[in-house]
Amino acid sequence: MNIPAETRFRHEAFLYSGWAEFVSGMVPFIKGGIDAGEPVLVVESPEKIRLLREALGQDGESVMFADMAQVGANPARIIPAWRDFVTRHGTENQRVRGIGEPIWNGRTADELVECQRHESLLNVAFWQGQPWWLICPYDVEHLDPAVIDEARRSHEFVSGGSASAQSTNFRGVEACGACFDVPFPAPKAGSRKLSFEADSLLELRGGVIRFATSSGLSAARATELVTAVNEVATNSILHGGGRGTLRMWRDAGNLVCEVRDAGRYDLPLADRAKPGPGLRESRGLWLANHLCDLVQIRTFDNGTVVRLHMRVDPRHHLRVVPS
Amino acid sequence: MYADKHLLVTRTATPPGLRFAGEIDLTNSEAVMQGLKVALPDGGGDHHLDLSAVSFCDISGIRALIEVATELEDGRRLLLHGLPAQLQTVMRVTGWSDMPNLSICNCGARAV
Repeated sequence: MNIPAETRFRHEAFLYSGWAEFVSGMVPFIKGGIDAGEPVLVVESPEKIRLLREALGQDGESVMFADMAQVGANPARIIPAWRDFVTRHGTENQRVRGIGEPIWNGRTADELVECQRHESLLNVAFWQGQPWWLICPYDVEHLDPAVIDEARRSHEFVSGGSASAQSTNFRGVEACGACFDVPFPAPKAGSRKLSFEADSLLELRGGVIRFATSSGLSAARATELVTAVNEVATNSILHGGGRGTLRMWRDAGNLVCEVRDAGRYDLPLADRAKPGPGLRESRGLWLANHLCDLVQIRTFDNGTVVRLHMRVDPRHHLRVVPS
Repeated sequence: MYADKHLLVTRTATPPGLRFAGEIDLTNSEAVMQGLKVALPDGGGDHHLDLSAVSFCDISGIRALIEVATELEDGRRLLLHGLPAQLQTVMRVTGWSDMPNLSICNCGARAV
């Protein structure tokens, strides 16, 4: 596969240290897009958006900005947002540019691993589509070196300073879409467990509601959680051997519901493909991703495990900005 | 008209239609769809469904309503009354809140 980079999706990690380096790297990229008549969307923290706006001056007026903490609180919502931007503003002949920083110092361990999965899946989602250029800034000063190493595996290109090069560590598109089987941390002690099949979905929902409300989740959020758990359990019944096991526990300010079944989930983008109007299209995981703060899907040799996370206090989800 | 361990469907006179009370999920959504196709009378006019007492409805339940609506003759609609917040959320997120022949009515009227 040797398509020139200009005529396809270019996914590039930009390694920076300090805000000055961030601005001096990103401003020419944005201006280059403006000069080429390419629509530009920047999904960043409000602080970095302010810096870029100041540096761009009037040039910045045609640039679109969005807050990554809102768009990508659950990283599985980021690919649909990019797809929306690319299809609205770009075509085969109209390239577009994006900047998106999904990983910052302050992401929880669970969020981080899902952000890294997201970075890999971006290649799968866009490599065959129309040409566009996405730069993902990585803050080398505040991120663990292992996070930077993973960025070199999930991005085909890596840049820093003024140099940009093909990443020799890129794992390739096929490996990016392979079943995700990174092990989960063990459930917290005191987790509740219940088995379910079709006839016990009603009891399953009752169990989730009691757990959620007794853990301090608001009635509205408890309803959203039970709606998501019910859909994932329904997938187990329809595609995962007809039955499954639910475990629920509290982890700091987080509620976790884990659904385990004997099925095999090998459609890497099924949870982040916006459903069309078709009646038979699957919508359960899409719904879960839009109701829950985080959805983690793993396929192991012995089945599929889905973990749904809900913050008890959603204010805790505000990003922590490194000073 | 229909009853199982967590759903009761009864006829309403004004407006003419059906009232749902309870929960719709994978176990009864097929029955809901088949029942609706049989119960909705032929002829002109809209069909009214009072969903105000539906405490839970999953994607398969909404799919059943949409499937019934799409099979209606031209010009006829399935009017959903008293849609609970949970149902509205599922319909909005799944992209099913704007379907032909299916209307969400916020008139506030209660079926009797």
